[in-house]
Amino acid sequence: MSIRRKLPALPSLTVAMLAMLLAGPAMAQQKTEITFARFFGACEGDYGTSQDVAHARGECGVMTTLVNLFNATNKDNIVVKPQIIEWGPYYQQLNARIAAHDIPMIAVMHTSQLGDYTRYVEPLDDLLKEAGIDATDFTANARAGVTVGGKIYAMPWDTHSWLWHFNVGLFKKAGLVDAQGQPLIPRSVDEMIAQGQQMKAKTGKPYIIIATSGAGDFANGARGYYSWLYDQNGSIFPNGYEKADFKTPESLAAFSAYEKLAKADLLTKGLDGGGAIGAFLNGNGAVYLTGTWRIDDFLAASAKPGSPLSEGYTARVFPNLFKTQSVWTDNHSWVLPKGGTNAETHKAALIFLKFLWDHNFDWARGGGHLPARQSVMAEYAKLPLRQYVVDIPTFGRALPHEVHRQFGFQNMIGEEIANVINTGKTADQAADAAQDRSVALLRGR
Amino acid sequence: MADPKGAPSRGSTGAAIGEKHAANLLFVLPYLLVLLVLLLIPLGLGIWLSFQDYDMLGGWNGGVGLDNFRNLLDDSIFPGAVRNTVVFVLITTPAFVGLGLFLALALNDSLRRSAVLRTVFFGSSVLSVTIVTLIWRLVYLPDRGLAADILGLVGLHGFDPVTSETWALPAIAVVTVWWIIGLPMTLFLAALQQIPAELYEAAALDHASRLTTLRNITLPSIRRTIAVVAVIEIVLQFQLFGQALLITGGGPNNHSRPIVQFIYEAGFRDLQLGFAAAASQVLFALMLLAALGQMWLSRRGEN
Amino acid sequence: MESWHRGRSLGDRLLLLAVMLLAIAWIAPIVWVVGLSFKPNEVLMRSTGGIIFPPFTLKNYTDILAASSVFGWMANSAIVAVGQTVLTLVIASLAGYGFARTDFPGRRVLFVLLLAALAVPEQAVIVPLHTMFAQAGLHNTYIALIAPRLAFPFGVLLMTQYFRAIPAEIEEAALLDRASRLKVFWRIVLPLSIPAQATLGIYTFLHAWNDYFWPLVSATKPEMYTLTVGLASMQTNFAQTEGIGFLMAQAVFAGLPVLILYLFFQRHIVSAVAGGGAR
Repeated sequence: MSIRRKLPALPSLTVAMLAMLLAGPAMAQQKTEITFARFFGACEGDYGTSQDVAHARGECGVMTTLVNLFNATNKDNIVVKPQIIEWGPYYQQLNARIAAHDIPMIAVMHTSQLGDYTRYVEPLDDLLKEAGIDATDFTANARAGVTVGGKIYAMPWDTHSWLWHFNVGLFKKAGLVDAQGQPLIPRSVDEMIAQGQQMKAKTGKPYIIIATSGAGDFANGARGYYSWLYDQNGSIFPNGYEKADFKTPESLAAFSAYEKLAKADLLTKGLDGGGAIGAFLNGNGAVYLTGTWRIDDFLAASAKPGSPLSEGYTARVFPNLFKTQSVWTDNHSWVLPKGGTNAETHKAALIFLKFLWDHNFDWARGGGHLPARQSVMAEYAKLPLRQYVVDIPTFGRALPHEVHRQFGFQNMIGEEIANVINTGKTADQAADAAQDRSVALLRGR
Repeated sequence: MADPKGAPSRGSTGAAIGEKHAANLLFVLPYLLVLLVLLLIPLGLGIWLSFQDYDMLGGWNGGVGLDNFRNLLDDSIFPGAVRNTVVFVLITTPAFVGLGLFLALALNDSLRRSAVLRTVFFGSSVLSVTIVTLIWRLVYLPDRGLAADILGLVGLHGFDPVTSETWALPAIAVVTVWWIIGLPMTLFLAALQQIPAELYEAAALDHASRLTTLRNITLPSIRRTIAVVAVIEIVLQFQLFGQALLITGGGPNNHSRPIVQFIYEAGFRDLQLGFAAAASQVLFALMLLAALGQMWLSRRGEN
Repeated sequence: MESWHRGRSLGDRLLLLAVMLLAIAWIAPIVWVVGLSFKPNEVLMRSTGGIIFPPFTLKNYTDILAASSVFGWMANSAIVAVGQTVLTLVIASLAGYGFARTDFPGRRVLFVLLLAALAVPEQAVIVPLHTMFAQAGLHNTYIALIAPRLAFPFGVLLMTQYFRAIPAEIEEAALLDRASRLKVFWRIVLPLSIPAQATLGIYTFLHAWNDYFWPLVSATKPEMYTLTVGLASMQTNFAQTEGIGFLMAQAVFAGLPVLILYLFFQRHIVSAVAGGGAR
């Protein structure tokens, strides 16, 4: 019962309550309710009851229209009730709900978190089959993301990754473009520093924009660190998951790439997320380090006349400066928390999962992520600039699921890289600090 | 000179009156029940938790004695968090008491202008920490933020407190004072309203200067309120969290991470409930010490 | 003591100037918040300056109002904040009077306990509290949203302190007339404590209204969300980089009721008559 119902005068309240008493049980019999816990925001202002999935923009728009469409068209009398929570504390709330046995039937989860939750979510191998979802269609990256100890624990929804976003105009001005006018991508740390110095000399602008100031920005540095580590086939757990090693040559090389950029004064210092995006849109920096999900925003911005990006905007996979191209990835996925569904709602939840699976391309198109289905990848590659990122699911990597508390690692590594960038900490000192701090993160696991 | 005896004496205001009677317990009983059930019992459970190895998702792995506390001592982050928190309290508490008292004295009248100004100084408190930090991050932006612009006018260039080990914490302190100066101001206003007008009339008859009146009547009359505000601010500022998390994330080099952020990260992000509970007990002990110390100081000042 | 403002000395003017300068520092960011709330989010992504120049938009506000649950969330917040305020005032006034003016066995010990409880950080109790309410099956109820904060001793301490400063003679006279303790409290002491009641009231309300973490983990059903949790859930991007105007509109929308309430309360904190006398 909504609270607004309680506000009118007493007579209408009584009528309303009577109506609820009469109608409530009857309605409950008719409709199967699916509670659907997620972030991605709410946008009734723009999408209200719209079912136009094909034209929805942004994560929130696609999610909202998908649920609207499902609720309006499913033949099984199912109604999906979104339970939307802000990004930041989403997992804290989920943990609290698990502790209180107040469990949603379907919940969104980053696959980087899945290792922490395997005790609490249903294994899905059989259920996906039952739902008619073909697990052989998962991309390699999506499959790795949702598989823990050989079992599938989630339905993958996307792959998201880390890119260099280019202000092509500044690259032209600096003479750092090829014959086709595309930016030259550095192939080693030295090449990157040389490019950066040329950029600074010719344009007076910082080569790289990165947000490093608040807790929400620390992920940025970590994603680049992981990418450079994986390019060398390095690991922070070379000797088992009991103990981390941040002092391997590969790890030190990743830290030191940041140190060299900072020492040469080639990247922005002390910017927060808003300041960084503003700097890129205003042409105050040549490369912006952020995710796959930003491509459409920047394309739209560059299409506006007079925009500092109007001379060209493009994006590439985070460049390989070492051996083999790899990059940090994560996935959104859907889990069925244990105790959320019962015999009655179980089937309905699977029907909704299948519906989502069938619309995976819509999510990739509007939400700005790579699809989790191999079969729609070709169609995805036709979208603007996506030809440059479409291979990410074949070489992208993530920390193994055996590593718990991955947000803790991401935040800690990112904070140390922010220290390298903002305070002149050396790569060695940062690696030492990360080494010390990993002890607490690995304790009791 | 105003008559110093004019200030309310302890005999007439401080003490209990009437018979000692068990029935008077009924006045405090409702609160004591709430205190017991909703604060003391959870506190007890929290203290128990601090001796356990308890992972929010991994489950309970039994008691570990003092291990959680030992691990805090050896931690590479926690001692810094303690230092930051204590420094922050030392910066902000005098600022809240001083500025709060100043504003209350300046705005303690029925002029419309003062009513407007009181609303202005209270107004920032209604904003959530998200909004306050969002705005102040814009103010602190390097090169083009408002703070950098103003300091640039007086020749101080390159001001970037968010990345400075020295200035990160003071910058957060400024935000905090701006955000919630309304509380001490209002507490002092309520206390000033209690001073009997006769005291001031007597002083006026004596042609006491305003400074003398302030020293001999106003300040002695609100002495206990000053002590209470100081204790309240100590307790509040020891629990610094959102401003630090959202402005600096605890950086640079752990120079602005408060204890509560440490607890939040250990408990709610990394799920180590026992370890986080141990850090909470350390915070509790520090707050208790600081509050008792402050009370002892103000007692001593009285005698 | 002359009024600080009525005086004409140089000192008075300097003082007024200092207060005015501070007021500008206090109000400028708030004006900025309001200004940004009328700007399109796309524009703010590029720059948050120039708030007095077009384009302007009401979209940030219409987006808030378009949320079908927003008034439900607001009603929840109002119920919680009013409930907590009323209960706090009752409980804290009674206890404050008890500690300040009456004597009973164990008074000193209990008061020391109360002072110690003041130093209990929220973080030390929130996990056990959540478990206790889960075991009692009380999450997603108003009781769970209102009750926990009633235990924090700030209000009792404030009222104790305030009652102590009321001259005892007033009560002693009434007690000689054989009036009951409760009657003295109700008829004589309570009316004298209006400024403290108003102060405690506005701050309890403000705290309850702005509370975020406890409602987030306790009221998990969308129909039980408070305004803070509901509005935060609407934010459509992770890093708050592109929804700045929307966030500011939320701040104005959620902050205005409290500010209006303050305007009413502050008359009782600084009353015209008392304010005129107490300078």
